[in-house]
Amino acid sequence: MQRREVIRLLLGTAAIPLLPRDVLGLLSQVHDQLSTAPSLKTLTPHQDAVVSSIAEWIIPQTDTPGAKAARVNEFIDLILTEWYDPDDRSRFVAGLDDVDRQTRNLYGKDFLDCSSLQQEQLLTMFDEQLIQRRQGEVHGARRRGQKYAPADQSFFYAMKQLTLVGYFTSEEGAKQALHYQVIPSRHEACAPLEEEEAAK
Amino acid sequence: MPAKTYDAIVIGSGITGGWAAKELTEKGLETLVLEAGRPIEPNKDYVEHVPVWKKRFREMGDRNRFNREQPIQQKCNALDELNSKFFVNDQQNPYTTDEGKPFLWIRGRQVGGRSIIWGRQSYRWSDLDFEANAREGIAVDWPIRYHEIAPWYDYVEDFAGISGQAEGLPQLPDGKFLPPMEMTCAELLVKDAIAKHFPGERLMTIGRCAVLTQAHRGRAACHYCGPCDHGCITKSYFSSLNSTLPAALATGKVTIRPHSVVHSLIFDSASRKVTGVRVIDGQSKAALEFHGRIVFLCASTLESTRLLLNSATTEFPAGLANSSGQLGHNLMDHTMGGGAGGRIPGNEDKTSFGRRPNGIYVPRFRNVKSKHPNFLRGYGMQGGGWRQGWERGIELAGFGPEFKQMLIHPGPWMMDFYGFGECLPNEGNYVELDKEVKDEWGIPALRIHCQWRDNERAMLQDMSIAAAEMLAAAGAKDITPYLEDNPPGLTIHEMGTARMGRDPKTSVLNSHNQAHDIKNLFLTDGACMASSSCVNPSLTYMALTARACDFAVASMKKGEL
Repeated sequence: MQRREVIRLLLGTAAIPLLPRDVLGLLSQVHDQLSTAPSLKTLTPHQDAVVSSIAEWIIPQTDTPGAKAARVNEFIDLILTEWYDPDDRSRFVAGLDDVDRQTRNLYGKDFLDCSSLQQEQLLTMFDEQLIQRRQGEVHGARRRGQKYAPADQSFFYAMKQLTLVGYFTSEEGAKQALHYQVIPSRHEACAPLEEEEAAK
Repeated sequence: MPAKTYDAIVIGSGITGGWAAKELTEKGLETLVLEAGRPIEPNKDYVEHVPVWKKRFREMGDRNRFNREQPIQQKCNALDELNSKFFVNDQQNPYTTDEGKPFLWIRGRQVGGRSIIWGRQSYRWSDLDFEANAREGIAVDWPIRYHEIAPWYDYVEDFAGISGQAEGLPQLPDGKFLPPMEMTCAELLVKDAIAKHFPGERLMTIGRCAVLTQAHRGRAACHYCGPCDHGCITKSYFSSLNSTLPAALATGKVTIRPHSVVHSLIFDSASRKVTGVRVIDGQSKAALEFHGRIVFLCASTLESTRLLLNSATTEFPAGLANSSGQLGHNLMDHTMGGGAGGRIPGNEDKTSFGRRPNGIYVPRFRNVKSKHPNFLRGYGMQGGGWRQGWERGIELAGFGPEFKQMLIHPGPWMMDFYGFGECLPNEGNYVELDKEVKDEWGIPALRIHCQWRDNERAMLQDMSIAAAEMLAAAGAKDITPYLEDNPPGLTIHEMGTARMGRDPKTSVLNSHNQAHDIKNLFLTDGACMASSSCVNPSLTYMALTARACDFAVASMKKGEL
């Protein structure tokens, strides 16, 4: 089916929810945008490996893809390179490098050489420290353009935030985990929740 | 060969310019629409169906570019990665303010103007609004009352398509509604609680919005994809691009000229009429002239006033059609930023499907039946109830498989109310031409002097309290009242500065949006407003425009213009 036929269909009285799936697929191509080929610009290969590992700890592969499959590391590199303030970027990279320093102090080796248990212990410690610090703070609704600017200066806050954003807005996360549909198959404001179609 | 003279020139192609184009052409006038910005091709420029993963910054936008080119526009909640192209470049479109008194001027320059990105909430004014100035001795009386505009509300609602629920409230008259959108589970619960705890005072209704809930006049019903402010290929929400400009084009009598930055109006002192406009081509910057028998100024509140200020003549040294000295004064915007949010327990086994482009509305309840001790007039509340998504995980403890599964599952139901408050007209809130700063096309920039006063501040506080009360009545938990100090302008309901009134000595426009001083000049955008009500103003601009067009064409036929 051609693009103009899709548009003609849309402009007619055809009910959108009844359009066949291939039309929905074409629809998303109507406004397709090219994304640039991935090549890391800020993270070194070692830093990238640590980021990829921590991201997968936060959102692991289960019955749906995890952070690694969704290439969250590439998203994080893009944000560090083209979106973060220089201060936020430096702080993130310094915090990332500090991960190895901490595991060397605790376990005598780099993060990536630690056992799964050791890695999990370190990240659990990071998470507990973070949540203690964040408790009692008021999290008002932040503006759309600014809502993912780091609200807490710690490395792990930014890491967790970027992992969740990068994962749930990826094609893998949005489609397979959230069942996101560009054009919802139905609209019902208050309906029984059926787990397999808990689309947003 | 003498230059062509159009029957009518319409300046601007947004909400009001679109209506003027439709009405004037349908009544037979050969009409030229001048738009400062570029043309928009819906098939190419609308971007509502781009999935989030196709966006380079996943909807967060190119922050460095925003900081560089749109530092003011990006303060608007609606601006994001793809629709930022429907907002102006702040570098090309400067304006100035007083130190410590910011005004955020959010603008769109393209065919369709801000009607592409507007909020679509559509409410009628009532006589509680039209009589307010006279009753309180503030500013000047409106020259019209509800019964004079009511048929025009009917008329524009019927064409635009407004979905909503009739409630029979005197302060918020019902319209000709398409079926209302549905409320979410949390909203239904809160609505019932408000009806029970505040009988006869407050009620909650679904937002009245210019989004179709059924096919209407050749446009398809909404398919609930969500981001209306990215355009809509099915034309399911009202915009001039989706509705009025196509109607004008269908008459064969309209010429839409994009890239036409109007510099000033041409005034003929012998006939005391405007004979045309001076235009700077937006691309080549060539100086051009266009001529017309009548001129409709629909460039948006502050642009229309700026244009009149920049059209001063020896007869009108303080700005064209400004014998009253009122041009530029009484700038208003709605206050926004007082409200509360909370968690609504229950309904864990239910959710919402689709992305409803609308919220709920609590019509004004202050100073309706009883008098509030701290402020005049009132506010309406918007908001909504929804289940939290994965974003909540950013502030929650945990990581790993269970954490991931929890975030895939919808979170608790939340409910939010935030007020939109009426702003009193104040002579001291005004605009003038900046003596030094000019825009990209060499036209003097505006200098805006505007600040909230005591009445607006008092009302803002009450919004937070009232919102929290309603949440408490509904059994909400973790109620969080908030009070944001947003500068004027951010609500994008700026209005006033060329007010309507009965007396040419104290107002710029008469009861038909016709300049007191210049009979063939009409101004029908937000600049005409003599007070601000608390409801979203666009529907009223539409009705006033259609009404003014009817009057103008009738006057032309009688040979009065």
